[in-house]
Amino acid sequence: MLLSLLLLASRSALAANGGQLLDLAALKGQVVYVDFWASWCAPCRESFPWMNRMQDELGRDGLVIIAVNVDHDHSDAEHFLREHPARFRVVFDPDGVLPGQFGVRGMPTSFLIDRDGRVQSRHAGFRLTDRDPLTQQIRVLLHAH
Amino acid sequence: MQLKRPVSQLHLGLMAASCALLSSTARAQTADANQPPQIDQPLQIDADLLYYKENAGRVQTIEPIVSLKKDFGDQRVLDGTFTLDSLSGATPNGAIPAHQPQTFASPSSSSLTPKPGAKTTLYTIAPGDLPQDPHFKERRVAGDLDWSQPLGLDNTLSYGGHLSTEHDFDSVAAHAGLSHDFNEKNTTLSAGVSEEYDRIHAHGGNPVPGSDYALYEKEPNQTKTVAGGLIGVTQVLSRNWLTELNYTYDRSQGYLTDPYRILSVVDATGLVASYRYENRPDTRARQSLYWVNKVALGSTVLDLSYRRGKDSWDVGSDTVDARLRIDLGHRVYLEPHARWYRQSAADFYSLYLSETGPAPVFMSADPRLAAFSATTFGAKLGMTAGRNGEFSLRLEQYQQRPTEQSSSLTALQGLNLNPNLKATIVQLSYHLEY
Amino acid sequence: MRIRTVNCIAILLGVLVIGGCSTLGVKPWQREILARPQMALNAEPIDAAIDDHIYFSKEAASGGRSFGGGGCGCN
Repeated sequence: MLLSLLLLASRSALAANGGQLLDLAALKGQVVYVDFWASWCAPCRESFPWMNRMQDELGRDGLVIIAVNVDHDHSDAEHFLREHPARFRVVFDPDGVLPGQFGVRGMPTSFLIDRDGRVQSRHAGFRLTDRDPLTQQIRVLLHAH
Repeated sequence: MQLKRPVSQLHLGLMAASCALLSSTARAQTADANQPPQIDQPLQIDADLLYYKENAGRVQTIEPIVSLKKDFGDQRVLDGTFTLDSLSGATPNGAIPAHQPQTFASPSSSSLTPKPGAKTTLYTIAPGDLPQDPHFKERRVAGDLDWSQPLGLDNTLSYGGHLSTEHDFDSVAAHAGLSHDFNEKNTTLSAGVSEEYDRIHAHGGNPVPGSDYALYEKEPNQTKTVAGGLIGVTQVLSRNWLTELNYTYDRSQGYLTDPYRILSVVDATGLVASYRYENRPDTRARQSLYWVNKVALGSTVLDLSYRRGKDSWDVGSDTVDARLRIDLGHRVYLEPHARWYRQSAADFYSLYLSETGPAPVFMSADPRLAAFSATTFGAKLGMTAGRNGEFSLRLEQYQQRPTEQSSSLTALQGLNLNPNLKATIVQLSYHLEY
Repeated sequence: MRIRTVNCIAILLGVLVIGGCSTLGVKPWQREILARPQMALNAEPIDAAIDDHIYFSKEAASGGRSFGGGGCGCN
């Protein structure tokens, strides 16, 4: 198990092209919302304004939103971000290392991680009607301690 | 809220740890605080103009089409299309050419021979020419409305309706379909049903099928229904190859005869003795198998399909359709298109009837039911116009070559009984998104 | 004849589905090419509707792609 993790780690470290991947350990103590997205995914477009609002409103309470982009071609992601600017962290994973590890089965998929670094829930897809329940979940985790 | 499964704490703990091993810093994106949050709910507008013209003064149509597609968010899409179709020109009446002049009445006539109080519009066909009604004029108004929405994370529901009306034909249709994605959305199973109801009220009344043209017997309005079903599989084969296989079955019932078509009845030498209205069976079951591939070859996309059709009238058909969309720079694309088609004749099709043999129950000389092969060649040129617009022009040539065009009967020597059909298709399109 | 055709179709569909479930396909994050608008099976719906209408009025076979939008009394 450890060996395979190391293998994965070294492979992705090579692929990461200067180290742009995710360091969840450094984010311990905060509530982390990890969102996997791609420029070609239609519901992803709808999630961006909501994620901006969440980061603006709840950032000071300890919420960190990290959007993992899985576009193979980096320029596609850049183009998307020019059209839909992000006010949260964006991580680029063109080789799909992180979605493989997280077991992402559709785009977008998000994971909500509590202040102790435990993944509390996984959410597949994004619809406008998902915004309120997701917001509620984030608030509950922010005020859990 | 969909598919929010409680995930095993242990598994995720390990996963989080493995992610933490990839110790690196996340890259922050520069924020643009002035940009208002926007949600993409685009409205797509399509305006098209179709011009279709057949050779030898046959049918010509001008058809404006306007289509609106509104995305209400969450992949809930409403799509409406409005079509206006103006046809004019001459249409073959089913009779064969002869070495003598032939005189017919336009269908709107209430009598074949001029009588007081009756309306008669006659037309005479010169020797050697294909008998066609030159007074053909038709206007069709059609509307389509379709709704599509996700049902859960892996299903899509769609339904819609169609209405169209002409002077002599009204059609109402509805359809509903459900598709289910699985295998990480690499496979989609689709199923659907459709139902159509048509009313046929030909100019001057519907002729009694199979009756003698000279008697000019007409019946009141007729109806027909078409019920159909579809099952299909769509499969992602690789990052750049998508394939789909559909099987469709439909069954038509009712008045399937073409009210304007007649057949020539010839004597033993081939001289025209009389004419008869055509008569088709009142049921028709059709099946088709359709296989389509979308393959990306760099920025070029190939669309290649094959369709095998078969029906209870014994018409078998094969269609191969190929399009290649080639990007010429960022703003312009060229799309060559080629199509090959062939069909066998309906079992009751004949170029003409013989006076001598026993009269068949079902009969038609409609060129659409003849054996023929056809090709289409053309291309479409598209270019972006402004930020969200696209202009395109499509030019195509369609040609139909009937297998059987002559007869060995002496009086029919030297006549082309079912000439080739050539048509030009011009389509001008404007597409806008906002 | 009809039964044989239907059997063939059932087998083909079955093969595609079973094959699809096991090995074919891509990961959810590898769909950037498939997501291009030109790769949609109905990338040009109006062109397709026009073609269906023209060939419906000139040939004995029609449809197959999806549902026909309703007939016409075409001549």
